[in-house]
Amino acid sequence: MIKSHAHIWFIGPALVLMTVILLIPILIAMGLSVTDYSLGNMGAEFVGFENYEKIFTRSAYEKMFGATFRYVFVVVPLTVGLGLGSALLIHSLGRFGDIYKTIYFLPVMAALIAMAIVWEFAFHPTIGVINSTLERGCGTWLELWTWYAKGCERSFPLWLQDRDYAIWTVSFIGVWQGFGFNMVLYLAGLTSIPRSLYDAAEMDGAKRGWDRFRLVTWPLLGPTTVFVVTISFIRSFQVFDMVEAFYPQGGGPSKSVFVMMFAIYEKGIQQNLMGIGAAITVVFLAFVMVLTLIQRWLVERRTHYA
Amino acid sequence: MTEAVADTKALALRFSTKTALTHAVLILGALIVLLPFYTMLSLSLKAPAEIMQQTGGFIGTQAPFRDDYCIKLGKEVADCMVNPIAYNYSTAFEKAPLLRYLLNGVVVTVSIFFIQVVVALPCAYALAKLRFWGREFVFTLVLFCLLIPVHAIALPLYIMLAKVGLTNTYAALIIPWTISVFGIFLMRQFFMTVPDDLIDAARMDGMSEYAIIWRVMLPTAIPALMAFGIFSVVAHWNDYFWPRIVITGNRDLFTPPLGLREFKGDADGDNFGPMMATACIIVTPLIVCFLLAQRRFIEGITLSGMK
Repeated sequence: MIKSHAHIWFIGPALVLMTVILLIPILIAMGLSVTDYSLGNMGAEFVGFENYEKIFTRSAYEKMFGATFRYVFVVVPLTVGLGLGSALLIHSLGRFGDIYKTIYFLPVMAALIAMAIVWEFAFHPTIGVINSTLERGCGTWLELWTWYAKGCERSFPLWLQDRDYAIWTVSFIGVWQGFGFNMVLYLAGLTSIPRSLYDAAEMDGAKRGWDRFRLVTWPLLGPTTVFVVTISFIRSFQVFDMVEAFYPQGGGPSKSVFVMMFAIYEKGIQQNLMGIGAAITVVFLAFVMVLTLIQRWLVERRTHYA
Repeated sequence: MTEAVADTKALALRFSTKTALTHAVLILGALIVLLPFYTMLSLSLKAPAEIMQQTGGFIGTQAPFRDDYCIKLGKEVADCMVNPIAYNYSTAFEKAPLLRYLLNGVVVTVSIFFIQVVVALPCAYALAKLRFWGREFVFTLVLFCLLIPVHAIALPLYIMLAKVGLTNTYAALIIPWTISVFGIFLMRQFFMTVPDDLIDAARMDGMSEYAIIWRVMLPTAIPALMAFGIFSVVAHWNDYFWPRIVITGNRDLFTPPLGLREFKGDADGDNFGPMMATACIIVTPLIVCFLLAQRRFIEGITLSGMK
């Protein structure tokens, strides 16, 4: 090992940038969250935990948590479930499955803002393809479904502009966009499971497909699942593009789609209320850190017992 | 014997129905996945009237129609008859400086990737192959920073950039992404697998540590760098949140997603044909690259799966 100080020059730039771009902003956010700072004002008053108190008591923020958790708890299970399901089906087809893999991955590549605008058109109440397709089913056996009959009688939902449907419609688009990513991760996990384990399980009496899944596939996909779930959580917590594109002001019909990233943007950037924006940032970071710590704990527990 | 034949027959039948069912489910899924792509392409080809009345199938009749804006400019009706495809795509480029947006997108994504590599590669090399005081600490810091989503700390970053007067510049679009802890981590893991002998041999030849990084380590890391590059370019070409925050109003700095958003926000927001043409133009470069080099893209995008 040659003694040199080269490492200082190698590490230095990265260390400086890490500190300035990633660590200091966290400290700034924590600092500002206890003030009423706004950009352009001289100085700021210390307000203690007032901002946090607002976040946890006011109804606007109650809606924020409601919208965020609704979105997250729809999108995470569905993207993970559909990701796993499509990966299993595609894997069972061998190389004929590749075409589906390509198609399902397309939404991951396409700019979400562009696709959101297309979906908005598709969900348009009068000229959108969704409602016009639904109308075509009127007068058939589909009317046995009361929801459908009601839609035919009056009108089908306004989807994105409907207070009761907006958050679910946005979640649907989130699922559409995200499950292909999870599928690819699961496919990678599936190909790494040795064939011999299935043969062994079959010899031990696991004749049905379900038994082989339960005894071999699912346990061996454990690490993949932990990772996929964590990354899905973190990604869906950060939903923003669609919300801003659909509802530039206010977060949707009666604030039903007022998700956290949009709240940070609205409070901090649009309204220049940096204190409250910083407080939401801190709460947001806390969520992400806790999730990641849970993931690490799960991974470690698994390695201890495996 | 006959029993065995019947058995295999039954088995084959079971397999083929199962395969058929699998295909059916996957095709249904594919249709839903492709629906917005189909809509986007179809609307970018059709005339406004066909879009509003939902007629004309996929590409419409392609009959020339009257461009009202052209009439307003006081030209003859005969000169104002336009073909839908030509109208949609030419409007996309004329109404907004779309070429400029695309160029901005290229400048920003390429600069980000270039700086990320210049910063991350030496750091990764030092963490993997040099022994020095504080190495463990730096690596722990890298692992900690992996936890921080840059979008989440947008507000303090924005304040810092505003304080030094950098909002509405290329620098604002690029600076927050110059450090990729993920890139450092990835390259470090990769360099760990490079044999020490290779580096020792290079040192024997009198190469400096700098030369080793760029002339020995870089070439060995090309596959990993390609994957990281795809990951980085896709993320920043499609990014909407960060440009939205730091670029306000100055159209010359718009990236493609911002340009599209502006189009939608305009009074012309219900002029769907040109808007969808813009969407197509923005989405196409990455989709084409993806279709050409699928395996590399999937590797690159799922890189984060290696954590």
